[in-house]
Amino acid sequence: MSSNSAQALRDTLSERIMVLDGAMGTTIREYGLTEADARGERFRDNQEDLLNNGDILSLTRPDVISDIHKRFYQAGSDICETNTFSGTTLAQSEFFVADPRKSGGRKDPEFFESQVLRNAELQDLVRQLNHRSVELAREEADRIATETGRPRYVAGAIGPLTVSLTNVVDPNDTSFRAVTFDQVKESYRHQIDALLEAGCDLLMVETIFDSLNAKAALVAIRETGTKIPVIISAAVGRGGETMISAQKVEALWNTFAHVKPLAIGLNCSLGPDLMEPFLRDLGAAAPTHLSCYPNAGLPNPLAPTGFDLKPEDMQNHLAAFADAGLLNLAGGCCGNTPAHIEAIAKALEGKKPRVVPTLAT
Amino acid sequence: MPSIPRLLRLSGTEAYNHTPDKNFLMIGERTNVAGSPRFRKLIQHDQLEEALEIARQQVENGANVIDICFDDGLIDGKAMMARFLDLIQAEPDIQAVPIMVDSSKWEIIEEGLKHLQGKGIVNSISLKEGEDKFREYARHILNYGAAVVVMAFDEEGQAATYEDKCRICERAYRILVDEVGFPPEDIIFDPNILTVATGIDEHNNYALDFINATRWIKENLPFAKVSGGVSNISFSFRGNNPVREAMHSAFLYHATRAGMDMGIVNAGMLEVYDEIPRHLLEAVEDVLLNKDPGATERLLDLAEEFKGQGAKKIVEDLSWRDQSVEKRLEHSLLKGIDKFIDLDTEEALAKYEKPLSVIEGPLMDGMGIVGDLFGAGKMFLPQVVKSARVMKKSVAWLEPFMEKEKEIKIATKTAALLEKDPSLDPARARQLAARSFSNGKVIMATVKGDVHDIGKNIVGVVLTCNGFEVIDLGVMVPCDKILDAVEEHDADIIGLSGLITPSLDEMITVAREAEKRGFGKKGIPILIGGATTSAAHTAIKIAGHYSGPLVHVLDASRSVPVTTALLSEDKARFISENEEKHRKAREKFSGGPKRESIPLAEARANQVLIDWANYRPPVPEFTDTRTIKSQSLRELANYIDWTPFFHTWELRGVWDPETETLKTKNEEGAKVARELYREAKEILEKIISEKRFTASGIYGFFPAFADGDDIVLPDQGVTFHTLRQQQKKKGKPNYALSDFVAPMTRGVTVPVTSPSIPDHLGGFVVGIHGADEWAAELRAENHLDEALMVQALADRLAEAFAELLHHRARIAWGIERPGQFTQSELIHEKYQGIRPAPGYPSQPDHTEKPILFDLLNATEEIGVSLTESCAMHPGSAVCGLYFSHPDSHYFQINDLQKDQIEDYAVRKGMDVEEVEKWLGPWLGY
Repeated sequence: MSSNSAQALRDTLSERIMVLDGAMGTTIREYGLTEADARGERFRDNQEDLLNNGDILSLTRPDVISDIHKRFYQAGSDICETNTFSGTTLAQSEFFVADPRKSGGRKDPEFFESQVLRNAELQDLVRQLNHRSVELAREEADRIATETGRPRYVAGAIGPLTVSLTNVVDPNDTSFRAVTFDQVKESYRHQIDALLEAGCDLLMVETIFDSLNAKAALVAIRETGTKIPVIISAAVGRGGETMISAQKVEALWNTFAHVKPLAIGLNCSLGPDLMEPFLRDLGAAAPTHLSCYPNAGLPNPLAPTGFDLKPEDMQNHLAAFADAGLLNLAGGCCGNTPAHIEAIAKALEGKKPRVVPTLAT
Repeated sequence: MPSIPRLLRLSGTEAYNHTPDKNFLMIGERTNVAGSPRFRKLIQHDQLEEALEIARQQVENGANVIDICFDDGLIDGKAMMARFLDLIQAEPDIQAVPIMVDSSKWEIIEEGLKHLQGKGIVNSISLKEGEDKFREYARHILNYGAAVVVMAFDEEGQAATYEDKCRICERAYRILVDEVGFPPEDIIFDPNILTVATGIDEHNNYALDFINATRWIKENLPFAKVSGGVSNISFSFRGNNPVREAMHSAFLYHATRAGMDMGIVNAGMLEVYDEIPRHLLEAVEDVLLNKDPGATERLLDLAEEFKGQGAKKIVEDLSWRDQSVEKRLEHSLLKGIDKFIDLDTEEALAKYEKPLSVIEGPLMDGMGIVGDLFGAGKMFLPQVVKSARVMKKSVAWLEPFMEKEKEIKIATKTAALLEKDPSLDPARARQLAARSFSNGKVIMATVKGDVHDIGKNIVGVVLTCNGFEVIDLGVMVPCDKILDAVEEHDADIIGLSGLITPSLDEMITVAREAEKRGFGKKGIPILIGGATTSAAHTAIKIAGHYSGPLVHVLDASRSVPVTTALLSEDKARFISENEEKHRKAREKFSGGPKRESIPLAEARANQVLIDWANYRPPVPEFTDTRTIKSQSLRELANYIDWTPFFHTWELRGVWDPETETLKTKNEEGAKVARELYREAKEILEKIISEKRFTASGIYGFFPAFADGDDIVLPDQGVTFHTLRQQQKKKGKPNYALSDFVAPMTRGVTVPVTSPSIPDHLGGFVVGIHGADEWAAELRAENHLDEALMVQALADRLAEAFAELLHHRARIAWGIERPGQFTQSELIHEKYQGIRPAPGYPSQPDHTEKPILFDLLNATEEIGVSLTESCAMHPGSAVCGLYFSHPDSHYFQINDLQKDQIEDYAVRKGMDVEEVEKWLGPWLGY
């Protein structure tokens, strides 16, 4: 993204509430894909099942991913996230590297060093996956921007990992961690480089369960020297703390203020109602844009998307947030389909964005 | 446009914002191997659990940030930094605060930054290695997101003078802010606190240079902070702590006024500025502010005067050990020292030959002094309990010898009695013989249905100290058992205790039955004590049933004079005075002016008017119940309101958690309280770390509506009943708790609120398990003071749990947000909503408890049960209802009239007499 379009993004944010997309994972479910779809030809003989590896569909079923991006942009999303939530060597290793625990070993820094970070095949696969994912979103963004005359943006999604830098895994040695900070940073850096090469407009470090993992991602971003905007979004539990590392939202802002993110916000984990007080706390602390894309309520295995709230419910909640002056960017996380986003976009149209506080001088 | 102040903002899992009201940021230095030999030793020996405890203590002692440093030749600093910070991540209470990563090696600092999830502080970087390195380190630190301490060093070395300090700090500031883009509020300068009074003239201005440089930095380098290591200033006075402490606090006083924001301070090495002796302060300030060339010389002279005083604090003064054995025993008793008691008792036995002579001689003499001082208000209960403990230990040592001797004496005396009167039953003769060797026997019990015994135990201890033989029957003791024990032991006095209202009735029963057994005629006194008892109630309701002396004892300190008087030669006078008091109380009760009351219908018409039609009741996050099987005790500890804890020990006043002092006019009392608090914290720590207690609780919310003075839970088919104030009031409503719940629209089950959302009622029960068992164990081992402490702490934890659960409940109910109130605001009940308990002033009827317990299934879920008097078991338990309406508040029910009691009896399906029995003290007719 040129600095001009970064400026265009900021200008738009000062005028209106921008719309993010909905959930990739739970929307994929609508397509009724099978294990064979996920594997395609390329991974037909893969050891591990791949149906739960949503990111791999960018390579094996790009048509589905394109279609989802298209539907979200058509529903009114200004910004869609790439299908790269687990697009790191560390996350993909779950599907492509034999689990040492099955042969009596354990996941530790030596394992990740030799089997994952120095695994050239895995690195190539992950780079392709990020490249292709940006392309798929880019095509739809540019096409629909031309059709509607409204700019659309592609956000490189950087998700959490299945390993944590703060979480205790061995009760007998609470200082043991399966990976090191440098390894996490390197794995994120590899993804970030691929996302930037393929030309995304901004980066989103999102669904932060563990602030130290996120810190590694953000140090990696700063070390590339890139100037593209960054959005930071945390997943907090009922007490308003990051789900793994238990950091409160104001503490989280203090941790990442130096990044000067385009926006900071909350997503996933809670439905909108439970999220509200923490969004307020964050908004009160942060002199930057505030984003919010909650789950469609709490998980309900009986609902078709797996979540409770219907489009009109999300619409009501987010409209109320907007009226309360809490939103600069809004969308949905798990359980939010294009129909949800359409309802949200409609509800937010014409509503005043949150006035971003300035940092006193 | 809204704006957010530019502050130093740090974080662990919690945010720390250095707002102007926090005038000094305390950096804990005990986790620095250079600052704490103990920490260094623990780290060197890989005792990391204990090392973590030090970190925890600092947080608990109020450090805002903890400094962590492993710069030591014998420690692998980089590896230890990583490991220790990872360990901290597993400790919620430590990782709450921001961390200062302290090292002179960059690789250790960077390793630290890789293990901090929050925003910490780097300590430190400087221009020592030139601008390039300085810039590089600063950029790295900014990438991680941390504040930074910049030492006033440059390529030439350390800045000592005012000019050099200002010059170097300005140069560093410009590079950081203009070139690196470092947020200025995250820059903390350390302009070097250097040692004064070294005898070298150039050093005389060092303190003033720092203070002036601080002022200059704060005025010229916007948002920058100033910090420093304070203990350096006084290095020339090593070994003379009084002078060092005075220098530290005087220095901080002036430096903070110049703008110093934070510092590495050993709080234990700090005298209170106002408490520094005048002449010392003058001399110290003359040195610090470099008033004249002779200042150092004067302070050195004066220092001689204070030399060695500081050391006294640590080295035990054992000179008392040189005194006679009697004096030593007295000293041990007075000071509550049990270290030498066995040794001294043995020596005393050798000297006095008979164990009883030891007891009646030096031990009783010592306890006599204790008793006198206590009576004169010069000793305090916690100290007396300590004395009693020492006494018990000594007596326990003597016991085997005594038993032998006693047997011989009793046998001799029995034989003598039988010789005198051969018709005497031998068993009875033995009883009489035994009795002649006792100072007086007291049977004590908490009456049936009641489990509270802290007060009773204290009285027991005090009486034991004063030579009485106390037979404690424990709690929930049925009437017959008490009276049987009196006969069996041929007791001289009966002591009855109880905390809850129904116990008052049980006391009447005991008095009545004691009368039937002829104890009254024999003149066996009954003492009445406990929180709900009163002199008036004793006089009016109990005394009439007993013809012997019946005395209300206000607290433990009165128990000794009362008991002594009752067993003295002069007892007749005391008894007649007591009876006179009762007579006056009865007269006042029947003859005195009564408050005017109104009929129930009128009181109902004057209920509080809440505009329900425009009220939107909050909807709780869940309905039905949630159980907490085992609540973290450490979290509970934060919710403790300490003031009532001190009241248990008869120390009056209000506890100020900020300064950890008991605010009372009695200075000595405050001192004792401080000591007691320290001990309580120790036991509390033991309770927590050894998991001695289990705290379980249950709470729930249920749709509810008010129906007259009742509260109906339609889904559960449960009704709570409330009582209404009946005194005539001017311009104020006659409250009942049901007023605070939304009623239904007349005749239909539609809430009157708008929109039509049902209101809710909550309820809870919490209990602390394990205290009674542990206290019994401790008592068996003669640790009387600890046993009392354990029970008192269990009570406080139960209250704390109730407070914490109410806090959670309000959040779950959406009427409060997490963090909305500070701990002290919570203690002072600044929040919305109330949690009244059945049996307390707003609803004094204990029989509402079973309804609540059944509703929550509390007995099965958390093991808290109710006795026949509706006391909770275990005793450290709290229950109540939750009301959410903003107008809800506590009030006092009294002067209940017959019309309401009849109405209430019908509503509850009880007999009028039964209701009257439960509500006795609140009846106004």
